[in-house]
Amino acid sequence: MTLLRVENVDKSYGDEEVLNGVSFEMDRGDVDVLMGPSGSGKSTMLRCINRLTDVDSGDIWLDDTDVTAPETDVNALRQDVGMVFQDFNLFAHLTALENITLGLKRVRGIPESEARDTAMDHLDQVGLAAQADSYPAELSGGQQQRVGIARALAMEPKLMLFDEPTSALDPELVGEVVDVMADLAAGGMTMLVVSHEMGFAQSAADDIHFLDNGRIVESGPPEQLFERPEHDRTEAFLTGLQSGEHR
Amino acid sequence: MSAEEPTVADEVRTTIDVDTDRPWAWLGLAVFWGWLLVRWVNDFLLPASVAVPGDQSFFPAAPFASAAESLAGTAASLGVVGVPLDFVAGLLSFVAGAIPSFPALARGAWLTIVLTVAGIALGFPIAVVLSVARVYGGRGLRWLSLSYTELIRGTPLLAQLFVLYFGLPLTQIVREIPGVGSGFIPGTAALVAILGFTINSAAYQAEYIRSALESVDAGQLTAARSIGLSKREGIRYVVLPQGLRYAIPGWSNELVYLIKYSSLAAFITVRELFFQAESIANDTFQYTELYVLAGLFYIALVVSASVLMGVVEDRTAIPGLGGTR
Repeated sequence: MTLLRVENVDKSYGDEEVLNGVSFEMDRGDVDVLMGPSGSGKSTMLRCINRLTDVDSGDIWLDDTDVTAPETDVNALRQDVGMVFQDFNLFAHLTALENITLGLKRVRGIPESEARDTAMDHLDQVGLAAQADSYPAELSGGQQQRVGIARALAMEPKLMLFDEPTSALDPELVGEVVDVMADLAAGGMTMLVVSHEMGFAQSAADDIHFLDNGRIVESGPPEQLFERPEHDRTEAFLTGLQSGEHR
Repeated sequence: MSAEEPTVADEVRTTIDVDTDRPWAWLGLAVFWGWLLVRWVNDFLLPASVAVPGDQSFFPAAPFASAAESLAGTAASLGVVGVPLDFVAGLLSFVAGAIPSFPALARGAWLTIVLTVAGIALGFPIAVVLSVARVYGGRGLRWLSLSYTELIRGTPLLAQLFVLYFGLPLTQIVREIPGVGSGFIPGTAALVAILGFTINSAAYQAEYIRSALESVDAGQLTAARSIGLSKREGIRYVVLPQGLRYAIPGWSNELVYLIKYSSLAAFITVRELFFQAESIANDTFQYTELYVLAGLFYIALVVSASVLMGVVEDRTAIPGLGGTR
């Protein structure tokens, strides 16, 4: 059953074409990974899906919501689409727990005590119940990102977007975040992930979309893209990634 | 982002620490405020039957005067050796000369504090609105906010007070408000001055808060929007709580400035600290003594304000966000 349908999306910043006729679909429970060189439009694609950026043309449907329609309530849409950022973007003045309860209270209108219980459950899910009262500055990057994931999950989204969730992390902290994401994927969450984590893509992804210059050059399951890429561009990029990992 | 780098806030805090870590400064402040509070209670609250008369000092001046006189005499007989003694005699005679002015200066200090605190406090919400409009508003709101701050910051505070007091028919309206000018409540001119300081400090505070808001990472509002908060809610619950913490050091500066700029209210007949000092000086011709005395009062007020804002900064500090702890 299709949850997300992206059709022919174009987006330019000035003269620069960032997205050029991008189309793909995701079923409920799918985990798709967007890969591609920097500047290929991956992050912009994610931001179009929760309307942090508006498309120039094309359609995006989430369930039966016409995402790109001007009359769509973006605040309601964004509750259905969780987002995890490269720089975590935890609310710096709030504890880990309060980072999660803010949305529960102010967006979903849940009373304080119930919001705290729900938030604790989500912190527990990412293994950080003990850090509930810590401020972001007191947490490691990996812990911050796990709180970021819990914050997005607490809104009970239909779809989770991950924008390079591990690329700002020290290498030894990547694992804990990838583990949480793998758990989520195994639990049936629909996830669209911009990442170059080959391990995660290989084990968790249903499809990988390779973007270059704002176009999807090639899509397919990991074993196909990693082992028998059809396009030279895909192969060159993936080879570079793999050798980069041994640097 | 490195935690070791000292921020502007840290530097401001360090200077305050240097001031307040000195025990004599604490002692001086404690004596100053203790006396001031007793004086206000006596002048404004106690019934006239038990109170010390409003124009009479708590301390007798005569012992200081006679001590100064006899010391000066001894110093003169000692010749060159007596110079330090002569200096002490000079200090004692300064104290003797200052004591009769204390009650009037205490009343003046009360008004100075009222003008400053009211101007800052009433200007603050206006400043928040102005700065948010400036940073997050549309073209029209940005223009309005910018025009206001440039108009106010670009013209002399004294001219603004003159327009309000002499130019507009405000005084006739304010005068009719019941209670104005009795006891603790400031009089007509002081209320007009408060209005002026509110309008003026709003513009300056808005500039401090604007630059603080701009230093909040843009990702914070993006994250707020991404969980479904509206832009207004994101500003209210995420950007402002952080930006206002960043604004505290600049805001302390504005408080310190306003304590001193409030002396301009003397020119529209408000009997605040500077006005009192000047009018006594005009009567007694002790210009140097009175202005030095007024200066000491202002220093005490400014140091108190710095200490207070340091406490506020520490109380509101959050790991990674301002403060020193």
